[in-house]
Amino acid sequence: MSQVRSGVGEMLGVLFDRYQMPLFNFFYKLTANRTTSEDLVQEVFYRILKYRQSYRPGTPFRAWMYKIARNARVDHFRKRRPEVSWEPEIEPAVIPGDSAQQNQETQMLYRALLQMPEEKKEVLILSRFQGLKYEEIAQLLGCEVNTVKTKVHRALQELRELFHRPETRPGTGTKLEGMIGS
Amino acid sequence: MNCEQIAELIPDYLQGSLSNDQRGLVEGHLPVCEQCREEVALWQKLALLPEEQPGPALRARFKAMLDAYQEGRWEHRQLAHERRNLFSGFLSGGWLRVPATGLAWAILLLLVGFIAGRAVNTPSSSDQQMAKLQSDLTDMRRLVTLSLLQQQSASERLQAIAQATAWSMTEQHADPKVLAALLHTLRADKSVDVRLAAVDALARYHNQPEVRKGVIDALETQQSPLVQVALIDLMVEWKDKSAVQRLKKFEQDPTVNREVRERAQWGIQQLT
Repeated sequence: MSQVRSGVGEMLGVLFDRYQMPLFNFFYKLTANRTTSEDLVQEVFYRILKYRQSYRPGTPFRAWMYKIARNARVDHFRKRRPEVSWEPEIEPAVIPGDSAQQNQETQMLYRALLQMPEEKKEVLILSRFQGLKYEEIAQLLGCEVNTVKTKVHRALQELRELFHRPETRPGTGTKLEGMIGS
Repeated sequence: MNCEQIAELIPDYLQGSLSNDQRGLVEGHLPVCEQCREEVALWQKLALLPEEQPGPALRARFKAMLDAYQEGRWEHRQLAHERRNLFSGFLSGGWLRVPATGLAWAILLLLVGFIAGRAVNTPSSSDQQMAKLQSDLTDMRRLVTLSLLQQQSASERLQAIAQATAWSMTEQHADPKVLAALLHTLRADKSVDVRLAAVDALARYHNQPEVRKGVIDALETQQSPLVQVALIDLMVEWKDKSAVQRLKKFEQDPTVNREVRERAQWGIQQLT
């Protein structure tokens, strides 16, 4: 019996190696908080182990996994919102070798992304960073593919507006608390 | 086309899924429209945001969870996890702030805990547990194999096939869904290496009629001489006389690579 259990464990290990980074980055870009993101990745693998029999073979695995990830996040903030307040870590890592101007632009973009409303930010993260196809996102959100495309377009419009706002510029002491994770 | 109509094409343009004509329309529009141009530029700039690494504690916690599962402490831990979640849910929901409701819930929780504890500690028949775990394992294997076969990178698809092969050694019966996925890979995967690996993985299923048929059918659709040779070798290895007719047809096809036709001729000799 322990052999069978170690087989399941081995396979979950394969999934962990493959998806811990994308999942962590999914949560980190949404919440801007490392600890919360790590907690949520752990929760996703706990739920994959627990609900593995609900996966229907032949359907896209990533859509199933991100559905779990979204639910885990919703549950997390539903429980903790009133009690916990935290400071988002708003500065992205500086990329060595990039020019000062590029780094400044990256920071502005990151600030603009963090200020976006949850729904728009999520669709942008899923399509741009997690590499999900619009069909997968539609399945995940339970909507039409065309709706996803419209959402992506609107999200980019909003990102552009936020990117040009003066308070997005570095050194202006933007208060981001409360805008994230609600 | 006006800006609004072009803007509708932009999401597909960003994922590279437009036809050449449509792409030309968008690219003709971008130099004259600042708004659309900036949106496309921002999408591209998003790639500059660095990927963050999770801390080492994440792997340690994951490993602790797996250890608990593998040592059979999973059910207890799961229960504890759920109790904790339930409890923190109640705390934030304000249930315990009303004394009477709090007491009622406390009693109910105690009862639930007592019943659940009994359920966990009562050993069900060992055979039943074993059967459940075996079916768990099959589901999990299928989940991993099928998810990896959908990956973009050829190396991950190769890994999926290697794992499916390794696991199949311990299974008495082949999983039909995994076999179907392997046959689909043999027919449709764009990487020659992955298709070759699929041929190897299918080699031990000669007793499955749908696999034999899939392999013979694949010969006609394959474009790669390497895969064609591997398929002919496999038919010879299986001593599959039903393949002779197809091989003869293949051998006489002038569009087929000369060396492959020679191999087919050799195959026919071996089988007749």
